[in-house]
Formats: sequence, C-alpha cells, structure tokens
Amino acid sequence: MTNPGFFPEWPLAHSPIVLFGLLLLAGFIGGELARRLARIPRLIGYTLTGLLLGPGGIDWLDTASLAASRVFVDIALGLLLFDLGRRLDLDWLARDRWLFITGLAESALTFGLVFCVLIQFDLPAVPAAIAAAIAIATSPAVALVMSRELRAEGQITERMLNLTAMNSVVAVLVTTMLLSWIHHEYRGDWILMVLHPLYLLLGSGLLGVLASLAVLGLARVLGKQRERHFVLVLALVVLAIGAARMLELSVLLTMLTFGVLVRNLDQNRDVLDVDFSRVGLIFFVVLFVVSGASLSLDSLKSGAVAGGAFVLARFAGKALGVMTFTHFSGLRPGSAGLLTLTLMPMSALAIVMLEVTTGLYPQLRGELSAIVLSAVLILELAGPLLVQFALTRAGEARAKEETAT
Amino acid sequence: MSEMDFKGSAELSMGVELELQILNSRDFNLARDAADLIGLVDKTPHPGEIKPEITESMVELNSSIHTRHAALVAELRELRDCVSAAARRLNVCIAGGGSHPFHQWTDRRIYPTERFNQLLETYGYLAKQFTVFGQHVHVGCPNGDDAVYLTHMLSRYVPHMIALSVSSPFQQGADTGFQSSRLNTVSAFPLSGTIPFVGTWDEFRAYFDKLRGFGIVESMKDFYWDIRPKPEYGTVEVRVFDTPLTVERAAALGAFVQALAHWMLNERPRQPSPDLYMVYRYNRFQACRYGLEGKFIDYETQAHMTLREDLLVTLRALEPHAEALASGPALEDLRRLVESGASDARWLRDTHAAQGALSNVARLQGERWMQDARAPA
Repeated sequence: MTNPGFFPEWPLAHSPIVLFGLLLLAGFIGGELARRLARIPRLIGYTLTGLLLGPGGIDWLDTASLAASRVFVDIALGLLLFDLGRRLDLDWLARDRWLFITGLAESALTFGLVFCVLIQFDLPAVPAAIAAAIAIATSPAVALVMSRELRAEGQITERMLNLTAMNSVVAVLVTTMLLSWIHHEYRGDWILMVLHPLYLLLGSGLLGVLASLAVLGLARVLGKQRERHFVLVLALVVLAIGAARMLELSVLLTMLTFGVLVRNLDQNRDVLDVDFSRVGLIFFVVLFVVSGASLSLDSLKSGAVAGGAFVLARFAGKALGVMTFTHFSGLRPGSAGLLTLTLMPMSALAIVMLEVTTGLYPQLRGELSAIVLSAVLILELAGPLLVQFALTRAGEARAKEETAT
Repeated sequence: MSEMDFKGSAELSMGVELELQILNSRDFNLARDAADLIGLVDKTPHPGEIKPEITESMVELNSSIHTRHAALVAELRELRDCVSAAARRLNVCIAGGGSHPFHQWTDRRIYPTERFNQLLETYGYLAKQFTVFGQHVHVGCPNGDDAVYLTHMLSRYVPHMIALSVSSPFQQGADTGFQSSRLNTVSAFPLSGTIPFVGTWDEFRAYFDKLRGFGIVESMKDFYWDIRPKPEYGTVEVRVFDTPLTVERAAALGAFVQALAHWMLNERPRQPSPDLYMVYRYNRFQACRYGLEGKFIDYETQAHMTLREDLLVTLRALEPHAEALASGPALEDLRRLVESGASDARWLRDTHAAQGALSNVARLQGERWMQDARAPA
C-alpha cells in the first residue's frame, strides 16, 4: 500500500527533539539507579549512562547523534558558565587578596606541573600545553550541581565556586591564546596566528558585555519582579549562546564574561538573583550523558598511564596552590585539604575545550585525546564523590534526612 | 552559695547583648558561617565577647560592664568594626534588625552545642523559628529586693521599650503589619511572659523553688520572660528590644534603661500593683502592632493615651537622671526620634517601597549596620 500522505516516511527521520527527550530520560533513570542502588551522586549515574550508550558502549548514541547533540551541550555549558560567572565575586577577591592569589597560584601551578609531567611522557610541547591548559579548569557542572544537590552552604562551598569560576576563566583564556601557538606550529600563518585568538577574545568579550548591559538595562525598566527577571535573563542567555555559535565565537568565553559582568556591574542589585537550577538541571542531565558518551574505556588502553600521571600532577598543582595560600585567607585550619578535593572534578568543559583547540588540526588529537579523555573519565566519576566527601566533612552539606527531597 | 543568691552588683552598671544576622552576599539570605566568623574574630583582640547563638545564622555581641553611655557606645563600635572586618574577609554581611525579612525557618540549622541541641529536642520547630534577633540590656542592682521592685517597675515601660526599638516588620518574606513581629515568636514558648507578682527576693525564691520542685525549670535561663532578674550577675535583664539597625541606637536604648532604673531606684515614684499586669498584655500588643501610635493604658490612673505621649512624658521625667548619668545627649536623640515618628521598622518599610525587593532590604540592612567599619588591609 502506498503511503496516503499523512503517515510518516519509514525509516523515521532523525529528530533532535526525540534525541533530547531520550537522553534526558535515560540519564534520569541512570541517575536514580546510581542514587538508589549504589548510593552515589546522581551525576555519576548520568555519566555512566552516557558511557554505556555511547560509541564506547553499545553505540546507540553514535558519532552522528553525538554531533546532533552538540547544540544541547552548548546550551547547557553556556548556562552553567553564566551561572558560575555570577558566583565570581570580584569585590571579595579585592577584599581578600589571598583568595585571589590562591586562585592564580593553583591555576599556574596546575598548568606548570601538568605540562612538565606530560613532556616527560614524550608528548610534544603544543599538545602538552593544551592538556595543561585544560587541566586548570575545575568542572563548573560538578561544582554547581553538587553544591545544589547537597544544599551546601558555607566557606568551603563559596570558595570552591569562586575558585572554580576563576580557574575556568583562566583555562578558557589560556586555551584561546594557545590557538596562536597551534596555528604557528601547523600552518605558520602570521595573520591567522594573531587574528584568530584576537577575534575570539574581543568578539566573545564584547558579546558578553552587550548581553550583560542588556540585562541590566531591561531589569531596571522592568522593576523587581522575579518571574519577569527569570524570563529576561534566560532569554539573553539563550540569545548570547546562539549568537556566539553563529558568529563562530567562543561560547565559553562569552558566557563567562556575561555572568561575571551581570553580577559585578550590578552594584545596586537591580537584577534579582534568579535561580536556574530547575531549568538548568534538564540540560545538565543531557550534558553529563553526552559527555559520558564522548568518553570510553578504550581511551584508557593507550592513555591510562599518562592520564594517571596527568591526574596526579593536576592534584599536586591544585593542592600546592590551595594549601600554601588558603592559610592566610581566614579559613579555619584543616579546610585547605577539603577545598583542594572540591577542585578535582573534570567534565564536559574539558571535553569541549579539547574539541575547540584540536578541531582545526585533527592531527593534534591521537595521544592528546587519549590522555585528556582518560583523565576526564577518572575525574568525572571520582570528582562528584570527592566533592560530596569534602562538603559533608566540612559540615556544609545538609544532613542526610534533609537532602531526601 | 546557691546560684539563686542575688549577687549584688555596682548600682546602675549596664551591659548590652546584641543578636545579629549573618547574611550571604549573593542573595542576602541568612548564611551559615557563625563558626567560621567566630573562629576568625577570636584571632583578633577585641573587648567584650563574640558568641554563637541558637542557629548557625546568628552571632551575639556582648559588651563589658559600663556605667557611662559614652564608653558603651565606643565599645560597641569597636566590636562592630571587629566583627565587620572578619565578615568582609568571609564575604558575609552582618545586619541588625529584629527579623530577617525573607528567610524560611525550615532552612535553619541549629548551632551544634549541647545546649542548643537540647533546646531543639525540647522545643522542636519553635527552636528554628526562634531565629529572631533581640537586644538584651542588663542593669545592675544592689540586692534582690531591689531587683524584684525594678523588674515590676520596668514592666510598665515594656511598651515604651518596644516602640523605641521596633525593627521586625517582615517575616518569612511577608509584611506582617506589625512594627515588631519578633515578640510574637517569643510568645509561643511555654515559659515566656512575666515575673509573678511577688514583693521580695525571698518570695521570688519560694516561687522558683516550687517550679523547680515540679521539674518545670532548672535555672533562671529557662524563663523566657520579657524582663527577668539575673541573680548570678546581680542584674535585671530587659529582653524585649528588637536589635536596632545601628549600634548607636543600641547604646541609646541601654542608656534609656539605665536612666529608668536610676529614677525608679532613687525616687520610687510608683508602686507595683497587680493592675500593672492586667493592662500589661494589652499595652504590649499595641506597641508591637502599632509602635508609637499604639494605645497605652496607665495602670495607676487608668488614663488612655498614645504611647508616643507617655514616652515624651517619660523622657522628660528622665532628664535629671540622664544628666546624673551623663547620658543626656543619648536620650535627647531618642526624644527627637519619638517626636519625628521615625523608627527602624519604618526605615525598613520605606527601603522596601523604594527598592522593590526584600533581598535589597536585607542588603541595605547589612550595609547600614556595618557602615563605619573599615575594610581590612
């Protein structure tokens, strides 16, 4: 029988909406199983779901589906970096220089140590530098989602979020600037070498500035109405993410700038502190599933040793930076170690930075990808547990019976 | 010596306790940093004491013992600057005011000490709802009989004290319509209220021993009365004030109690009567609900007037006593406040009207309280 016209054509066309729904549902189920059966944070369940469904597992989420889901990743990461940027309090950094110094020191030491270690593993300088730059950033997703899931509040939580915001900014800036070196190494084109990072830095920065000014201006006109502010901020977040993609700018840099400025330019607090956690969670589940699918146990075959060394060097860099300087910054004794643990997670941000820096020159991948993805695999699974341990131990997570909701 | 022996103290010495709010600097909700804050201020030398209170969102400042208003205000400013400097390093704000405008009591966590856990065990959710912020003023008494007399006589002026300090118009995100909603929270406790109508310290001790015999109380701490004698300090403690928005107002309220005590103990202008407690709850409610505009009934003359009228009469009567205590300017400030009809509660409502959001009210409450403290190097 011929199709009378209203039945869908067989096989059914790919639908990004169905893909989104399926990712969300699968992640949700994985998260609940992790929570109920293994009593581990839901985040780990989302990642394991991705790992299982992805090319490294049963390959239901094949490379084409992963490419189609890139738009969700951009929205989720954009929203996360915006939210994290809003937590970076420049006034605090100005008042407590030691916190600022801690942030710079742990970023610099992480970069330096990871770079040196990877050179020892005979990785060429360019990929070693890229890996070291990626190592700087703590996972914004894990920091934000875990602090909300544990309903954690207090000095360690606040410092974790501020240091994560700082090291994310540093990592994104350094990877962007490394593009110069990459172009120089692989194409030797001076114009490209100068213009590409410059376009990304200035263009993304400008877009972030415009978005934040738009929010501030419109919020003043609207007056303080929570629901309106929610829609306003969400609209500009989505718009800024879309514009950055359209203009081939850096979504990461744009959204970090946007978030930092919308908080720190708003001295009179005209914008209400709108809470994206419900809407955000939908995207974050998908983000973790997709980033889980980008990982595979196979990468461990070639990258496990160097990846393990990467993880240790990164830990040493962060520990050295935090333990040396936190002491001066008014934190109670013993908490520097816990703060270090909270900075360990890596996740989607690292994967996206890896894609951005190696996207133009696929020959860069190979060993670099194996090392970074091995490290991400380890820290994406262990990270949430470390954060949970540290915040609970610090007494900043709510008691168990209260987190049941 | 029993803890119920009244240990006389220097006549008319005074001390102030202030319960303060710890706010985060993101959305200005109550934060949970009391332990870190106290750990940090303990590292710097400061007068008086800085202590935890029942929930992790509160901190209490205690002055030392003073006889003069000028020294009290100087010390309270020093304490404020010390705690503000520590707060800035931890990126939290310290605010005055009798209530936090929009916190939810279900979010509160009890500060983990044995006594506070015991209170949570005993009082359940009332303990968490007790996240309200008051000022206590101690005034020294030479002996127990004077303390009983003074407790009764200060009770007449409880509405006046409430009206001078009202600063809790908002609770749990809503305007309560009250000028001081904080005292409604206190009323829920079974041992709140007033001292029984006894005439001497021995009568009071007999009453206390009887209640202890019933197993209802163990120490004076168990009474949540508006005014209570404090035998181990040799003081009478006034507990009805909302924490004001500035330390200067807090010191002026201390001077007000001191001058009242000076008047009462030196001239004995009034005599206690059970009638005092017949009008007590009515007068107190009027003061909480309407502040200076509330109605006031004088138990001796049965005259009706507004609280403002009786406050102005009272402040005039206190003038010679304030002069003797060198607190004339502080009471003059209070008189101007009463005449203008201004109050902390009105400032909070005006700020809300201008800002449109309670989070901004809390932010400005913090800025106002910390105002003169210098940022640390």
